[in-house]
Amino acid sequence: MRKKLHSTFTPLAAGAWLLLALGAPRPALAQADGIDAKATSLLKAATTYLGGQARFTTEARSTIEVVLKSGQKIQFDHVATFSVERPNKLRADRRGDLVDQTFYYDGKSLTLHNTADKVFATVAAPGTLEGMLDFARDRLDIVAPAGDFLYQNAYDVLMQDVTAAFVVGKSVVEGVRCDHLAFRNPGVDWQVWIQEGAQPLPRKLVITSTDVPAAPQFAVVMTKWSLAPTFGAGFFDFTAPKDARRIDFLPIGGGTSLR
Amino acid sequence: MRSQLSTRTPGLALMAGFFCLGFAMEAAAIVGAPLTPVSVAGVARRTTRRVVVASAATTSAATTSAATASAASANAAAQSAQASAAQAQSASQASAAQAQAAQQQAQAAQAQAQAAQAAAARPAGAPAVGSVVSALPAGCVATPKDGVEYQNCAGVYYRAAFQGSNLVYVVQAP
Repeated sequence: MRKKLHSTFTPLAAGAWLLLALGAPRPALAQADGIDAKATSLLKAATTYLGGQARFTTEARSTIEVVLKSGQKIQFDHVATFSVERPNKLRADRRGDLVDQTFYYDGKSLTLHNTADKVFATVAAPGTLEGMLDFARDRLDIVAPAGDFLYQNAYDVLMQDVTAAFVVGKSVVEGVRCDHLAFRNPGVDWQVWIQEGAQPLPRKLVITSTDVPAAPQFAVVMTKWSLAPTFGAGFFDFTAPKDARRIDFLPIGGGTSLR
Repeated sequence: MRSQLSTRTPGLALMAGFFCLGFAMEAAAIVGAPLTPVSVAGVARRTTRRVVVASAATTSAATTSAATASAASANAAAQSAQASAAQAQSASQASAAQAQAAQQQAQAAQAQAQAAQAAAARPAGAPAVGSVVSALPAGCVATPKDGVEYQNCAGVYYRAAFQGSNLVYVVQAP
């Protein structure tokens, strides 16, 4: 039965069907119109809580979908550890079979270092975490996964274009009980899972592109939260190894290379 | 092998890069297709990634896939040119080993060959200056100049750079 069904579907038709299924209203959750104050207050509590943390680390495990020309969706997984010290320090360590990369922001400049390739690029950056994140995104096309949560004013950043919000219900993410919230923006839907109780940490974020065929998704699970980490001296500072070569960043939209 | 693959599936799966702070993805993305954003604030900034930036190559209104195919064939040509150069080089090195006195001569010949290579016009079918690739062809030689390291790949010069979080190589003017 399953097989028969599949054989009558071309990949394209299947993609269209998927799009319909995702876009179709779910009868049980039909209240997606308007902004539910319960959803926004839960989000506000989470962003205020994390915004108030002077330093923290978390591991972000993410999955991104890419749609091929055929309509076929392919997923890529990544793991990164984020270390933050407000107001102006950030380090992201990305390790894996294929990547070995560290991002440094010391309050004055940001550096991307590919250890195995022995190359790094450094550029002057704004003096706050928020300014640096904007700069990295707008000028360098470097975007933190779920980076919205790193902003001290994360609530405003997240709510800027929201057209609908509601509470889906209770959920469990990797053994942690959460409130599951759903939001809509023009072009994207997003969901966030926030830890229940005294430590309302974001535990998961899913972003769905509703304006792209086959509606690819990005999902990130944030685990191993530590709100009292100890960072050694120079942890956020990049010191170039002797054999590393300095290269440039290619700015968005062309123009002079940044270094 | 690489170029064969690319030729078989022109314009399909370019190794496209997309970075996310501390985490990049090497996505076999379609040229021209936007990627799904990784942050809500990033939605407006969602960009269309092109690893093979076909700026100069598309001036003649070539399609992106055509540009890709030509870039691939250029790479193949560059590779074969490099291979023959290597052959010539090893031959001259062997003779140098046979006669120690000839070593200096061999070095001179090598320098001459390099000078000739540099002086020669860019190889026919070379990728357009300013185009960006995610991997260098085989057999490139690091060539520092004015504190910047260039990769000489059979007469085509590349310079490493980060595009987003991805290490890419930009074709330079000779």
